[in-house]
Amino acid sequence: MKTVDIIERIEGEAKLNLHWKNNRVNDAYIEFLNFRGFEYMLEGKAPLDALVYTPRMCGICGQAHLLATVNALEDCYKNANIELHVTAKAKILRELGLIIEIVQSHIKWFYFFIMPDINAASMTPRKEFEPLKGQQWLKAQRASSEITKALALFAGQWPHTSYMVPGGVMCDPTHMDMILVENYIDQTIAYFEKELVGMEMQNYLTLSQTDDLKLLKGDIKSFLKMSFEQSLEKIGQSYNRFFVISDACGFHKGKIRLKNVSKFEMNKIKEHDDFTFELNSKIQKKEKYGWAKTVKYDNLFYETGPLARAMTQNRRFIKQLHKTYDDSVLTRVMARVDEIAYLLQTAKTMLHTLDISEESYIAPKTALKEINSTFGTGFIEATRGALKHELIIHEGKIKSYDVVTPTVWNLGPGEKPDYGVAQKALIGLNSLQEATIVLRSFDVCSVCTTH
Amino acid sequence: MRNKPKVVWIQALTCNGNTQSLLSSNASRFEQFLNQFELVYHPSLTHHTTLNDVLQSNASYDFLLIEGALTSNTQFLTLSDQSSTAIVEKLIKRSHYVIAVGSCASYGGVHAKFEHNDDVVGVQSVVGKKSACKSGHDTINLTGCPVHPEWILQTLYTLKAKGNIALDDEQRPIELYSHLAHHGCTRNEYFEWKVESKSFGLKEGCLFYEQGCRGPMTHSSCNKILWNDTSSKTRVGMPCIGCTETDFPRENMLETKKNIGIPAEVPLGISKRAYLSLTGIAKTFKIERLIGKLIDENR
Ligand code: SF4
Ligand code: SF4
Repeated sequence: MKTVDIIERIEGEAKLNLHWKNNRVNDAYIEFLNFRGFEYMLEGKAPLDALVYTPRMCGICGQAHLLATVNALEDCYKNANIELHVTAKAKILRELGLIIEIVQSHIKWFYFFIMPDINAASMTPRKEFEPLKGQQWLKAQRASSEITKALALFAGQWPHTSYMVPGGVMCDPTHMDMILVENYIDQTIAYFEKELVGMEMQNYLTLSQTDDLKLLKGDIKSFLKMSFEQSLEKIGQSYNRFFVISDACGFHKGKIRLKNVSKFEMNKIKEHDDFTFELNSKIQKKEKYGWAKTVKYDNLFYETGPLARAMTQNRRFIKQLHKTYDDSVLTRVMARVDEIAYLLQTAKTMLHTLDISEESYIAPKTALKEINSTFGTGFIEATRGALKHELIIHEGKIKSYDVVTPTVWNLGPGEKPDYGVAQKALIGLNSLQEATIVLRSFDVCSVCTTH
Repeated sequence: MRNKPKVVWIQALTCNGNTQSLLSSNASRFEQFLNQFELVYHPSLTHHTTLNDVLQSNASYDFLLIEGALTSNTQFLTLSDQSSTAIVEKLIKRSHYVIAVGSCASYGGVHAKFEHNDDVVGVQSVVGKKSACKSGHDTINLTGCPVHPEWILQTLYTLKAKGNIALDDEQRPIELYSHLAHHGCTRNEYFEWKVESKSFGLKEGCLFYEQGCRGPMTHSSCNKILWNDTSSKTRVGMPCIGCTETDFPRENMLETKKNIGIPAEVPLGISKRAYLSLTGIAKTFKIERLIGKLIDENR
């Protein structure tokens, strides 16, 4: 039997095509049918205009795209042998912007995207998690919009600011601005402690055993109760292979295939479009089933995102959960929540090393539009995982621009038996409800998947 | 209008930025909105209703909010198995007001730059300026990439209270789009005395002369109703890129186009000649306070 379901509330829409045998999923395809063509739009544009375009690939991860673009443009200078100075201050102000974006996105994701489904499937659904009405839902909106103010203090606004630029940042915040940033971070820490985990963040960060799950209170406790009731620790497993592309924000770049973290070679990342629609619909082949591309490392699928980051970074608590429950829905959700604490702590450390008296911006000696020919790549960890931007500049204009988004790693298409990461996690499930929750555990963003 | 007007929000070709903007609105204002309006459907937020439910029902809605550009080309976008244009055509007849949320929904925006699809348009190109919605109210454009969340809320509250909202030539609410982004910019004094910012990354100077700031030509209240209740692009040092105007996105947005050292475009409402003579005079004054650092800690 075959079923096709439209999945909403994933930042866009996707079609879940499931083939059933003996009441279990035995084949799965995820179709993304929305395409905007940013890579094509960027051709022929002035290099700096990319700073305005790329955050608009995704209204959810705009800062990540901006930073990836800046890294790629700075790499263009490097490859053209033009020296560039970027102060530590500018680097901190960039990474801080990204951290704030990730933290507010994780809060929203937990309450707006995954909890409503888990709550609805629970035997004892709770009023406070109901979308638009529940107290905890509303508190999450408050918390995420509050911390976004910290970003606005030096980025002007969110979403869609382009305050980063090759050579530094456009802003010049004062001491008081940065104290205010810290106040908002502290406020978010208090929120995390009170609502999410019901304990002090410093204590939370010392948790290291699977058994420590019992110590958690707050909304995580409700999540765990519902998860075990629905066996979410037993579903959603994929390849158990993890990939992290950048060291920024204190993450550890690397891949895990069997056990230990190892280095990777950038040139083994390969994108292909065997299953991806052609622009010219007249030559469409039948094996093509959506706009998402496929990306692999050394010809293997790898999972990217918060769980991958916790793994390469060796964060004890999540590593233990992974040992016990593998790459299940439960582990994936916990890794995302855990990352909130880790990033808030990192933000505090960064603020304390920030030297406001340094320059925000040091103009490059040559403008990019004056460079005849060069190329560059930028890598960054976005909310959902590894993000890569790559461009070629020719006669001062963008000749080509290529983007590999996190969701392409996790949700990109494969075909039996070589399934994509999320696809593989769907095989063997026994209800649509389970399939929806497993799919959602990858934090699907259809706009970012197809871009 | 009913006590709790019904709101339906749909998304077409979009980056989700306007939704994220709405979710970043001031929390008590947002909660008040949820209490006073009934958000029947939003693809990212509502749990009990799907787009199909909305399409199959006969219910009428007070507000149809559309985020993202429309296309009838199903090769590039289908939603619940149909084109976004078809969906809007169906829903408009059952809605009292139609509001294009964001520049993409208003006139195609960024997505219209995708040349392989020559059918990326704004809502009014599909439903008409004089829309066929139940109230007969003109299509309302809330431009901006993204639109400020407060502009959405204030428009909804105003229509709820008064039933009508005055629009400008681009179908935007006059009260929100009469100001220029330039109004309320903390760099205004530098603009007046023609003191340019020496580079990015400085508190001092105006971004009009070198960095491409469109503040004096852009209708928006970004510096009046601050972003995230906190700041604005130009206040922190990023030039306004004019995202509320129909020519957005333009080329070379982060530099000022000049002819023989003179800005090719001058602020709205003044002739180029007049502007240049004014500039000449202003530049003869040397205002001490505007030359040095604004905050000098080594004093
Ligand atoms: S107007 Fe801007 S924010 Fe809105 S959908 Fe378009 S690109 Fe995204
Ligand atoms: S920076 Fe832009 S908005 Fe601000 S005063 Fe100058 S021209 Fe006006």
